[in-house]
Amino acid sequence: MAAVPRPANRNTRSPESTLRVLSFVFITVMIVIPMIVILQDAFREGFNEFWHQVTLPVAVSAIVLTLWTSALMTAINAVMGLATAFVLVRYDFPGKSILNAIIDLPLAIPTLVTGVMLVILFGPQQTLGALLEQQLGFQVIFAPPGIILALLFITFPFVVRTIQPVLLELDQAQEHAAATLGARGWTIFRRVIFPALALPTLSGSLLSFARAVGEFGAVVIVAGNIPFKSQTAAVYVLGAVESENRLAASAISVVLITISLAVILFTNRMLARRNRS
Amino acid sequence: MKQMIGKVLFAIVLSVLLAGCAANQPIDSGSSGDIHLILAAYTTPREAYGEIIPLFQAMWQEEHGQTVTFEESYQGSGAQSRAVVEGFEADVVALSLEADVTRILDAGLITHDWKSVGANGMVSDSVVALAVRPGNPLGIDDWDDLGDEGVEVLTPNPATSGGAMWNVLGLYGAALRGQVAGVPGDDPDAAREFLKSVLANVLVMDDSARDSITNFEQGIGHVAITYENEVLVGQQAGLDYELVIPRSTILIENPVAVVDEYVDEHGTREVAEALVEFLFTTEAQEIFAKYGLRSVDPDVAAATSDQYPPVPDLFTIEYFGGWPQAREDIFGESGVFNVAIQEVQGQ
Repeated sequence: MAAVPRPANRNTRSPESTLRVLSFVFITVMIVIPMIVILQDAFREGFNEFWHQVTLPVAVSAIVLTLWTSALMTAINAVMGLATAFVLVRYDFPGKSILNAIIDLPLAIPTLVTGVMLVILFGPQQTLGALLEQQLGFQVIFAPPGIILALLFITFPFVVRTIQPVLLELDQAQEHAAATLGARGWTIFRRVIFPALALPTLSGSLLSFARAVGEFGAVVIVAGNIPFKSQTAAVYVLGAVESENRLAASAISVVLITISLAVILFTNRMLARRNRS
Repeated sequence: MKQMIGKVLFAIVLSVLLAGCAANQPIDSGSSGDIHLILAAYTTPREAYGEIIPLFQAMWQEEHGQTVTFEESYQGSGAQSRAVVEGFEADVVALSLEADVTRILDAGLITHDWKSVGANGMVSDSVVALAVRPGNPLGIDDWDDLGDEGVEVLTPNPATSGGAMWNVLGLYGAALRGQVAGVPGDDPDAAREFLKSVLANVLVMDDSARDSITNFEQGIGHVAITYENEVLVGQQAGLDYELVIPRSTILIENPVAVVDEYVDEHGTREVAEALVEFLFTTEAQEIFAKYGLRSVDPDVAAATSDQYPPVPDLFTIEYFGGWPQAREDIFGESGVFNVAIQEVQGQ
C-alpha cells in the first residue's frame, strides 16, 4: 500500500502531527485512563477511607517490605548489570553470544515458574537450601532473601540492556587518551567510562525497581505471604481482591504507583541538575 | 479460478447454515438432539464428576432420548463464584462453601430456594483435618501438637482462600469448645492464645488450599491443615502422607445449585434440575464417597463409616453464628484472626 511519497518540503508537519495524535491517543487509552480508573476507585469513598486503608498496620508492613526488598534488589542489579554489560561489550570470550542471548530469557519465563524454580533450588527441603539454613542459619525461601532473588532474576535484563547500547557507542578514544596520560584501569573506569554510563545504569535500575514493586507471580510462591512478616504489597492486594475489598486493592495500588512515580521524577530532576552543572 | 471461488463461497454458506441449525437445536427440539449443560465447580470433586456425569448422560439418554453434552469448568470456589457473577453462564454451580453460592444469590442470578433441594442444598461433606509425614514422626495427633515449638505448619491465607477460613475456624472452634488439651473452654482469650501459638509456627501461607497441599507434597513443613478429602485423594494418587482427624473439628458442607438466570436463558432448566437431583441419588453419593468426600445420604454414610469415622466433637459454621457472622467476628479487620496474626508478628 505504498502511497506516492510527498515532496519533502511540503507538508512536513503532517506526519509529525499525525504521529503525535496517534501516540497521545494510544497513551491515553492504554495507560492514562486505566490509571484514572484506579485513582477514582481508590478515592470513591473519600480521602479518609483511602487513608484508613493505606495506614492499616498490615498494609503498611506489606508496602514497607515491598519497598526495601525492591530497593536492595535494585542496588545489586545496578552493580551486577553494569559489570555484565561491560563484560559483554568489551571482552571477547568463547560462549559470549550464548551468554548474551541467555540474559533475555527471564523475560520469557512465566514469573510463576521462576518462583517454583527458586523453591526447587533453595527450598528448605532441598540440598542447597538446607545447607544454607543449617550451616549459616540463613533462610532463603519463605523469607525476604527469596523475594530479592526472585526480583533479581526477573528484572536482570533491564539494567544490562539499557547499558549495552550506550557502551557500544562509547568512543574509546577518551580511554586511550587517559591511558596515554598514565591513568590505570580502575581510574579510567571511574573517571572516564562510568560517568558516561551513570545515566543508563540509573534509568535501567529505575525500570527494574518499578517492575519489582508490582511483581506478583514469583513472589507469591517464594515469599511465604505471612502478614506482617513476609507478605508483599502485591500479595496483600490479591488478598484484598479475593475478599471483595476492592477499595483496599485500589488504594494500595495508588500508593505503589505514587512511590514509583516519585522515585522516577526525583531521579530525573537530579540528573537534570547534574547535567547543568 | 472463478469456479474455485464459487465452491469456496458455497462451502462457507453451507457451513454457516449448518452451524445455525446446530445452534438452534437445543431450543426447538423437545425429545431429540443434543442439549448442552455448563457445570462450574470447585476443583476437589473433579474426579467424582468425571464418573457421575457419564451415568447421568446415560440416564437422560434412556429417559428422554437426548444426548446431554457437558462443558465442565473447575477452579477455586471463590474464583468460580465470581466468574459466574461476572457472566460465566453456568447452568449448575458446585462450590466448596455456602458463601460462594450466596454471592451468586445476592447478584440476583439464583432466585429459587436452593436449600430446598436434597440435604439443605449440600451435596457432600468433609472435615478439617491434618496431613502429616509418613509414620507421623512428630507424633501429631490433635490440634494441641500444632502449637509445639519447632513444628512447621502449612495453611493457606484466609484472605484468599475459603479453605483457609475453614482451617482457622476448625482450630479456633475446637479450642473455644474446650476440646484442645491445655486450653480452657469458653474462654476466647485462651482460644486466641492457642491460635497464636499455631500461627507462630506457620511457615508459608499460600493463596489456595490446593497450593498449600502441593507445597506440603513437595516436602515443605511437618503438618498441613487441610480437608480430609484432600488427604484421601492424595493417598489414592499414591502420595505417602498420613491423615490425622482431630478429636474436635468443623464440618465442611459443599453446596450445589441451579443458576436460574442462565438456565432460563439457555432453556436448560429441566436437565439442570435433573442433574442436581441426580447428585443426591445413592449412585452419585457413593461416587463422592469413593473420592474422599463424606456422603450426605445417611445410608451411604453408614455404609462408608469405616473410611469416614465419626468425629467425637463435630461442629458446624452455625457454632460461629453462620458465615456472615464468622466473616465479621473472625476474619474482619479487627477480627480474631487479624488481631492474632498481628500480635504474633510483634506489631
